[in-house]
Order: sequence, then structure tokens, then C-alpha cells
Amino acid sequence: MQRLMPRSLQGQLLLAIAMALLLAQGISAALLWRAQSDRREAAMVHAAAIRLFAAGREEGLFGGRKFHSRDLPPEARRLRVERAEVSPLRTGESRQDDAEHELKEVFAEQGVELKEVVVVHRPITENADLIRREARIAARMGDHAPPRAREQMVAAIHTSDRGWITVAMPMRGPDEGLLISLLGQTLLLYGLLVGAIALIVGRITRPLAALTGRLEQFASTRDAAGQLAPQGPNDVRRLIIAHNAMEHRIAALLDEKDVMLGAIGHDLKTPLAALRVRIESVEDDAERDKMAATIEDIVRSLDDILSLARVGRPSDPREPAELKALVGQVADEFEDMGEPVTFAPGERIVAPVRVTWLRRGLRNLVSNALRYGGGAARITLEREGAMAVIRVEDDGPGIPEGRIGAMMEPFTRGEPSRNSATGGAGLGLTLARAIAEQHGGALVLANRRNSDGSVAGLTATLTLPLA
Amino acid sequence: MKPMPDTEPVRLLLVDDEAALREPLAEYLSRQGFAVSQAVSAAQARTILQNETPELVLLDIMMPGEDGLSLCRHLSEARAIPVILLTARGEATDRIVGLEIGADDYVVKPFEPRELVARIRSVLRRAAKAAPPAAEEELFEFEGWRLDPLKRRLTDPSGAMVSISSVEFRLLMAFVEHPRQVLDRDRLLDMVQGREAHLFDRAVDNQVSRLRRKIEADSRNPTLIQTVWGGGYMLAADVRRIKVPT
Repeated sequence: MQRLMPRSLQGQLLLAIAMALLLAQGISAALLWRAQSDRREAAMVHAAAIRLFAAGREEGLFGGRKFHSRDLPPEARRLRVERAEVSPLRTGESRQDDAEHELKEVFAEQGVELKEVVVVHRPITENADLIRREARIAARMGDHAPPRAREQMVAAIHTSDRGWITVAMPMRGPDEGLLISLLGQTLLLYGLLVGAIALIVGRITRPLAALTGRLEQFASTRDAAGQLAPQGPNDVRRLIIAHNAMEHRIAALLDEKDVMLGAIGHDLKTPLAALRVRIESVEDDAERDKMAATIEDIVRSLDDILSLARVGRPSDPREPAELKALVGQVADEFEDMGEPVTFAPGERIVAPVRVTWLRRGLRNLVSNALRYGGGAARITLEREGAMAVIRVEDDGPGIPEGRIGAMMEPFTRGEPSRNSATGGAGLGLTLARAIAEQHGGALVLANRRNSDGSVAGLTATLTLPLA
Repeated sequence: MKPMPDTEPVRLLLVDDEAALREPLAEYLSRQGFAVSQAVSAAQARTILQNETPELVLLDIMMPGEDGLSLCRHLSEARAIPVILLTARGEATDRIVGLEIGADDYVVKPFEPRELVARIRSVLRRAAKAAPPAAEEELFEFEGWRLDPLKRRLTDPSGAMVSISSVEFRLLMAFVEHPRQVLDRDRLLDMVQGREAHLFDRAVDNQVSRLRRKIEADSRNPTLIQTVWGGGYMLAADVRRIKVPT
């Protein structure tokens, strides 16, 4: 049941409307059907009344002249009238109250007050005369014959002078033609309405679906190019126009941000460059080296901040690069600085990457491992299925399980003191993860455990798609 | 750093709108033995260039008015004066754009002044050696490997980019410019003297082995860069120079 329930707006709207329409049309068809059978019954009562009235006149009752049979309507003309001293009502038969009332009314309109009337339905089988007549009609009319009657209506009036006068007439079941035309009419109407509504709902939901697709596209590209043209009903049209305006605004904000970051980068790096030149005149080598290191720290933090702000909108394309050489180069850089970083080169793996970005992300992971991970870092590179997997392991205390997620957030460091002596803006992991995601990959941090359950160190796993 | 041994000091033109950087840098370069003229804008630089011809121009990219890239194009096309770009942005695209329009090198601010001096000497050496700077359109190819001296890019036979450090790049340049010649350690050291010279002279062998790890199928049994008995290395491959349209 849950599975059959449509989830889309179009499906749900259509289902609700179709159900409501089915119900309404069902009720209306049933009412029509009911009115039809009421009318048939009333016509029979009238025919019986006329025939009984005519029979009464023949007996000299009710006053007035006798009817000629041609004065009678054709359905009344052929009815056979019987007379009896006792009521035709048999025990156990249920009387048709409505019909009896109707019969009395007809006579009352002619100024005849009847004491008692009886109307009952009986199987046709005991009336040989009616069965014969039905057979004749069927023989004469062939395929066009009305359905054979299964029941007869027996109507009787009690007159004080002449006892009971009874007339029996065949009761025809519902006309199949009528039933079919009623059903056909209902279905046609139903089909037309549901079709029209499906069109309207489609007209509303199609642009909505297009807008959803566009939103998804914009979320990944953040580029205002390729916007939807306003379409659909006015409300949806306005939604699309508003969305387009918002896209432009977001794109403009992002552009503005890039320009601003460029300006900040320029405005801060130029004085830093000047400072870097000036410290060359410092005589004390040790002092000068410290100054240079400080400037380098500032520049690294600045680069991290600028990179993080730009990582979602890289301006350079991906190109196939050999990862073994790339990882090896990062390891070499650390080795050159005297850091204990080992890289066991395995097979050559080529993947489409943005080399500058990936190198930066990897550097961050390695310096993190060196800074917090007990001093040594091991890098491995492997192919696992359709992914290249780079692991950076350290032998440090790891990260408390509950803090692993928080470590990826900007400006978070392992120790809460934010001691600046340990360096960095706290953006290393955030940036590394953003770079992994920029490549369609992922960064996962996990504690590595010894066999006794104690933490052996932290493993940062960077996965990159190979295609 | 000792001054250049030449009797005539090398003339440089430094173009940067930021006085805070331009002045101390000019001062520093003068102390290093260069004769430095200064310009605060591309327009002023053009005026100065009418009267004197510097041997090299140091050019800031981001300047009000005409920017550094535009002046750089003019210098390399009309004047054939080597250019080193000073850029505040570090994004790869900026670097490539700068080099494609004819800059000979670039440094990213803030740079180490000594590194800048090393780059200036390196560019001047190259300019003195290769008279037509059109060599920039050249690629070196050996055994399917391609080295692009302009973009400092190495690609393997499948076309995938292989990261190399700048020392490795210069080392490889030395090899492809002298294929099938034995280069001893001193010669190699001399040819790749650059910014990381202080690292390099400690470990020529180390750098060669790093390069081997990147380009050899089996770095323990090298076939491309072979060790020659008696203390030297040789690129055991033929090198083709390929012209590529820029």
C-alpha cells in the first residue's frame, strides 16, 4: 500500500482528484438509476390504475361512460382484468406501500375514494397468460425485445359493489441499454475530467520539476548561466522569476567575494613581501630566520583562508596526473625540511585532479600528522576499486571519537587552548576535506587501534575517484 | 650573496605601484650588485623604456591602469626583454597565463629575496645562452615523456601530468639539453643552481634518485638516467625538440 502511494505532487493531486470524482460520479449515477426505476414503477402504477378505472366503468362503477379500448394508452390496453370476492393478498406477501398510496391518489384525483387497495410483486411463473405474452413479444421483436420480465406486479382495488378487481402486469428489469449508456456516460465524463486535470496538473508540476533540476545544478556549479525561462501558470512563473533573481544575486555575491579575496590577498601580501625584503638587512642570521619563519606562517594561514573561500569555485580544470609522483613530491618536501615522513611508493595511478589543490590538501594532512601525531607520518597510496586511496598515518593519541566530526570544522584545533605556538589557522583539515569533496572524493578520519583496544594513532583517508 | 662578478652591473627595471615593496626591493637588489630603475606604473615603465634598455624587467601583475600582463606582452613581443612577474595571487591559472604571454618566470609574493636573485640570474643565463626566446614554444620529448620548459610540466607517455619539484625540473632540463652526455655532479650542480641551491648541493644523488622514482619503470634498475662509473649521470635516451603552436 505504502509502495503504491504516489510521492510526487502530480501523482498525489491526480489520485485525490480521481478518487473524489469517482465517488461523486458513482453517487450521481446511483441517484440517476434510482430515479429511473422510480419512474418506471410510477408508470406501471398509472397504467394499472387506468386499466382498473376502465374496468370499473365497464361494471358501471365510478359514474361516467364506458371507455373504449382505443381510449386507453397502449400499455394499459392489453392488461387482463380479473374479479374476485376476496383480496388477492396472500399471507406472507409484502405490500408495496408507496405504490398502493400512488394508486389511491390516482383514483382520488378522479373523485373516487377507495377503501382498500393492494399492490404486491410476485414471480411471473404462476401467470401463464403473462408468460405467453412475453414469449410472443420476444418472438416478434427478436433481438430488439425488451428483457424478459421475471416478476409481475399485481394491483387490486376493492369496490363495495363488485368486490376485488385485479390487474397483473409484467415487471421488466432495468433496461440494459440504459444501464450501458449510463455507465458509458459516467466513464466518458470521468475520463474527460481526469484527462483535463492531468493536463493542468502537468502544466503546474512540469516547470516545478524543471526548477528542481535547475536548483540541483546551481547548487553544484554555482553558475548563473543556463537559467530556466519562466513557464507554467502564473504562480510557478513568478517562482521561477524569483529563483532566477536569487541565483543572480548569489552568483554576484560569490563573484564579489572572489574579487574581495583577491584584493585582500594582494593588499596583505604586498606589505608582507616588503617586510620579507626588509628583514634581509637584519645582521643576526638566527633572528632573521625566525622573522622569515613568522612571515611564512602568516602567509600560510592567509593562503589557507583564501583557499578555503575559493575551494568551492576552482578556476582551473582537472587534468590527468600521476598520483605516485604527486604524493612523492609532497613527501620529499617534508623530508627536505628534516621531517620524518615516509612514503612507500606502490603502483602508478593516474587520476583527474587539480594538482595545486590536491598537493595543498595533502600537505595539510601530513603537517597535521606531524604536529599532533607524535612526530612521524607514513603515507600510502593504493588503488581500491574505482578510487585512489591516500592514507596518512601517525602514531599519536588519535582524536576522541566524539570530536572527530568537530575536527573538520573551520578554526578547530585538537587542543582547545588554541595555542598559536602550534601554528596554523585551524583550517588544515577543513580545507583538506573541502579539496577532497571538490574532486568528488572524501576525507575520513579514524583512530587506529592496537589488538588490546588502545589507540595506536590516527589515519586520515583521502579517497579520489579515478575517473 | 656576493655581487655579480661582471664589471658592468646588470640593469634591471622594477615596475610595481606599491612603494612599500618597490623601494626596499630596489635597495636590496642594488646591494646585490644590480643597477635598478623604478617605475610606479606601466605607463611610466614605457617612458623609461624609450631611453634605456634594461636587461630584465621585474613586473607586478596587479597595478592600476595598464596591468602587468599587458605590459609583459608588449615587452616580450616588441622588445625581447626577459620578464619576471611578481604576483600576489598563487593560483595556477595566473601563473600559466603569465608564462603564456611571454614572461620568463614568476615569483609569488611574498617571495624570498634570495630566491628572486637566483631566478634573475637563471633567467639572464638562459637569455644569454638561447638568443631567440622563441625556444619557449618548444617541448622536449624522450621515450614518450614530454617536458614543457615554459610551464615546467612533465607528462608521461600516456599524457598524465607528473609532479616534479623545481630542482627536479632543472635537473631534468640539464639532462634533456645534454642527452647522452655524461654530466658529473659538479657540472649538474652548476647547471641547476637555483633557489634551493642550499638544499641541492647536499644531495645531487638524492635528487637524481627522486627523479628516477618518477620517470623510471623500476628505479632500482634505471634505464633512462644511468649512473656512469667514475661519478656522473647520463640521460640514455634521444631527445626530440617539438614545436607546439602557442
